[in-house]
Amino acid sequence: MSQTHDHHAPIQESGEISEFEILETAVRELAIEKGLFSAEDHRRFSEWAESVGPAGGSRLVAKAWTDPEFKARLLADGTETCKEVGIDWRDPTGSGTPSDYTYFYVLENTPTVHNVIVCTLCSCYPRPVLGMSPDWYRTPNYRRRLVRWPREVLAEFGLHMPPEVEVRVHDSNQKSRFMVMPMRPEGTEGWTEEQLAAIVTRDTMIGVALPQVDWTASEPPSKVGA
Amino acid sequence: MTRFQIGDRVTVKDATSMFHTRTQAYTRGRTGVVVEHRPEWVIPEDEAWGREDGRKEPFYVVRFLQRDLWPKYTGFDADTLETECSERWLEPAEEEPK
Repeated sequence: MSQTHDHHAPIQESGEISEFEILETAVRELAIEKGLFSAEDHRRFSEWAESVGPAGGSRLVAKAWTDPEFKARLLADGTETCKEVGIDWRDPTGSGTPSDYTYFYVLENTPTVHNVIVCTLCSCYPRPVLGMSPDWYRTPNYRRRLVRWPREVLAEFGLHMPPEVEVRVHDSNQKSRFMVMPMRPEGTEGWTEEQLAAIVTRDTMIGVALPQVDWTASEPPSKVGA
Repeated sequence: MTRFQIGDRVTVKDATSMFHTRTQAYTRGRTGVVVEHRPEWVIPEDEAWGREDGRKEPFYVVRFLQRDLWPKYTGFDADTLETECSERWLEPAEEEPK
């Protein structure tokens, strides 16, 4: 056995701290020093924020698929209707962390329109319903290329949209946040809301994938190549 | 009363990028259609300076045909892109719809 393959490569420190990291540390330390919040408050908030996942979004879509009146309300007023499933955009923690990015719009896919979201300016993402964004969503590669070559980028995710479907890119550059409501796939007749929610994965609500009856994100992809 | 109505063709101004505008370079000088109204928000030019009581303006969702944004667009004619613009960034489109 080769010596070089016996152990992991040493973890490299990049040694580079960005201006934003310095700014965040400075503001955080000042706020703690002034007693605006404690270090533990900060840790708790970070732990909570990082634990929010896409389950809220899945629930919204599954409920909309089974309840036409809920769907109508969700499409008409996303921010307000989220409260029905316990998601409050204006007061997410119930402890004074309001966001001014509280305009939430749900984009409905139809047989002729496929929606996909991006933020070319930074990394705007509907975090209260989808949690933290995937790493690739924040890369310049995705952000620059999705607006310009959307069909090619979707194809790289394995999604090929036919020519008769309008691919509609939403660049969230202001105060709105968007989530895609995919179409309910065939073969899900009679499914419970819970079963439906399981196939509404994160990527289907970003718009880079479509829900499939035999695929949930909670199980390892065993059918690769099958 | 907002200056632009749904269905109006509007052109994004090709103005300075010196300050924080949130108006993407790729939309400057391009023409699209107003498809939705948004609430009145503080414009980014003021908000960026922490002026939460800054100037409020109507915002619009503008839908562009991809081929109008990118002359060498490689997708299909029906493809579109939507984004939001404050009123100060829009002017009535001059040319006739093609």
